[in-house]
Amino acid sequence: MTGVLLFFVGVLTLAGIYAILAMTLNLEAGWAGMWDLGLVGFVAVGAYTYTILTQTKFDDVIIHPQLPIWVGMLGAAAAAAAFASVIGLPTLRVRGEYFLITTLAFAEVVRQVAVNTQTITRGTIGFSELSRPLEGTFPGTGNRIVLLVIVWIGVVLVYLLLRRIAHSPYGRLLRGFRDNDPVARSLGKATNHHRLRTYILAGALYGLTAPMYLWYLRSVTPHLFAPDITFVTWTALVIGGIASKRGPIIGAVVLLVLTESVSLIQGSANLAVILASMRFVVLGLLLILIMRFRPNGLTDERSAFATVQSSDSL
Amino acid sequence: MQNIIFGLVSGSILALAAVGFSMIRQTEGFINIAHGQMLTVGAFLGFIFVNSLGLNVFVAGLVVMIAVGLLGVVLALIVFEPVSANGALAQLFTSIGLAYVMYGLIRVVFGAKVQFYPNLFGRRFDFTNFNVTVGELVIVGLAGASTVGLHLFLTRTRLGTWIRATASNPELARLRGIPVRRVSISVWFVASALAGLAGVMLGVIGNVNSELGWTQILMILAAAVLGGLGSIYGVLAAGLLLGLVMDLSAMIIPSTWRLVVAFVVLVLVLVFRPRGLFAKAERKEAA
Repeated sequence: MTGVLLFFVGVLTLAGIYAILAMTLNLEAGWAGMWDLGLVGFVAVGAYTYTILTQTKFDDVIIHPQLPIWVGMLGAAAAAAAFASVIGLPTLRVRGEYFLITTLAFAEVVRQVAVNTQTITRGTIGFSELSRPLEGTFPGTGNRIVLLVIVWIGVVLVYLLLRRIAHSPYGRLLRGFRDNDPVARSLGKATNHHRLRTYILAGALYGLTAPMYLWYLRSVTPHLFAPDITFVTWTALVIGGIASKRGPIIGAVVLLVLTESVSLIQGSANLAVILASMRFVVLGLLLILIMRFRPNGLTDERSAFATVQSSDSL
Repeated sequence: MQNIIFGLVSGSILALAAVGFSMIRQTEGFINIAHGQMLTVGAFLGFIFVNSLGLNVFVAGLVVMIAVGLLGVVLALIVFEPVSANGALAQLFTSIGLAYVMYGLIRVVFGAKVQFYPNLFGRRFDFTNFNVTVGELVIVGLAGASTVGLHLFLTRTRLGTWIRATASNPELARLRGIPVRRVSISVWFVASALAGLAGVMLGVIGNVNSELGWTQILMILAAAVLGGLGSIYGVLAAGLLLGLVMDLSAMIIPSTWRLVVAFVVLVLVLVFRPRGLFAKAERKEAA
C-alpha cells in the first residue's frame, strides 16, 4: 500500500515539474506564438549549471565551487536566461517552421556539447547521487514528500506569475502580435524586443525548473536531455489546451498519471522492457487521439479568457 | 580523401531520406517527424530479411522499399488524413505522436539492442592514401540512380508532373482537376520507400538500433532547411553537402562533434539566408 502511495508521490512530483515546464511553454508558444521545440536545451543548461555549482561529490572536474543550493538555483536561472538571450538573436530572426527547427537544433547542440566537454560535465557518465534540499531534516521517504510540496509550491507560484502576465497589458500584447504582427507594430509596439524578452523570461523559468528535476532524479547525464522532455511538455500543453491558463497543469497531471501508471503493472523482467517501451506508445497515442478529436485540448483559450472579458466590462 | 568518400556516402543516404521528407512537406504541408522512424523500420526489416531469411541484400532492399512505402500509405490514410482539416500544427503533433508510437513498437518488436548486418561487401579497393569498399560504391551508385530515377519520374511522367504541380500550388492543382488524393498517396509511397531504402543503407554501412530514427530526423530537418523546404533539388544538394561538411570537419575536430557542426552550419545559413541556400526569390504574400 505504502509502495503505491510513494509511487504516486513520485508521479505527482514529476507531473508538477512538467506542469511548470508546460506553463512556461504556454507563455512562450501559446501566448507569444513562439513554437519552441528546443526547450530541453534551457533545462539542460540550467541542470548543468546547478550541478556544477552545487555538487560536492566529484572533484575530477575543473569547476566545483560547492556553493549552496539557492545560489545554484539562481545560477541555473541566470545561465538559462543568458543562453536564451544569446541564441535568441539568430533563432528569433526566423519564423514558423524554421524557428521550430532552429530551436530543436540548438537543444541538440547543447546536448552534444555536454557529451563532449568531459572536463566540465563528465561527458556521458555525468553526475550521480546529487543531494536534495532538507535531506538532513527529513531523511528517507519524508524527503520525497518534501520534494512534492516544494515542486507544487513552485507550480502555484509560476501559475500566479503567469496569470498576472496573462491579464496584464504585456500579456495582451503577446497574444496580439501572435495573431497579427504588422498591426501590433503599426501601433508602435516593438514586437521583436518583446519576443526576445519573453524568450529570455521563458529560458529563466525553464532553467529554474531544472534543479527540481534533478532533485527528483538525483543524477544528470546528457542522455536525459534528448528531445523527449520537449515533446512530453508539448504533449502536456496540447492535451490541456494551448493558450489556456489552467490547461498546462491539467494536461501535465493527466499525461504523467497515464504514462507512468504503465509501470505499476508488475511482471517479469522481459515484460518490464516491453512496458517501458509501451510508455512511448501511450504518449504517442494520446497525442494522436487528442489531435484528432480535441485539437484545442481539454480547456481552450476562449473559455480561459472569457471571464476576463466579462469582468473587464463590469 | 577518405573523408570525402565517407562524406559522399553519408551525404547520399541523407539526401535520399531528406528528399522524401521534403516531398511530404511540400504536398501535404507539414513537417513529418515520423519520417525518421520510417528509416528505422526499413533498417530493421532489411536486417531481418538479410540476416534471418538469408535474402540477397538487393532483393531485401527492394522488398523493404515496397513494404515501407505501403506502410507510409496506410499510416497516411488512417493517421494523417483524418486530421488534415485541423491544420498543419495538428498534423505536426500527430506526426510526433506517431513517431513515439512507432518508436515504442519498434523497441517492443525488434528490441533495444544494436544489431549489425553481416559483412556483405567484403572487397575493398586500396589506393595510395585511401580505400573504398564495394558497399560504399554501391550505396553512392544506388543513391545516384534513385535520384536520377526520381528526377525522371517527376519530370517525365504525368503523375510526376501532378506531384510537382500540387507541391507548388495545391489549390490551383485541385482546380485544374488534378486528382489530389492520388497524388498524395503516391507521394507517401515514394517518400516512405526512399526512407526505407535509406534505412537499409544506414544499416549496411553502420548498425541498426532503435534510436536511429531520432538521430536521423534531426539531420533530415537540417538538410531540408538548408536546401530550402520548398525545393526538392535544393534538398538533395543540401543533403550531400551536409554529409560532406560533417565528415570533412572530422579532419579538424573530433568526429563526435559532427552533429554540432551540422547544426552550426544550419544556424549560420538561416541567419544569412533565412529561406535556405537554394531558395528562389518568392513573391511576398500580402499579409
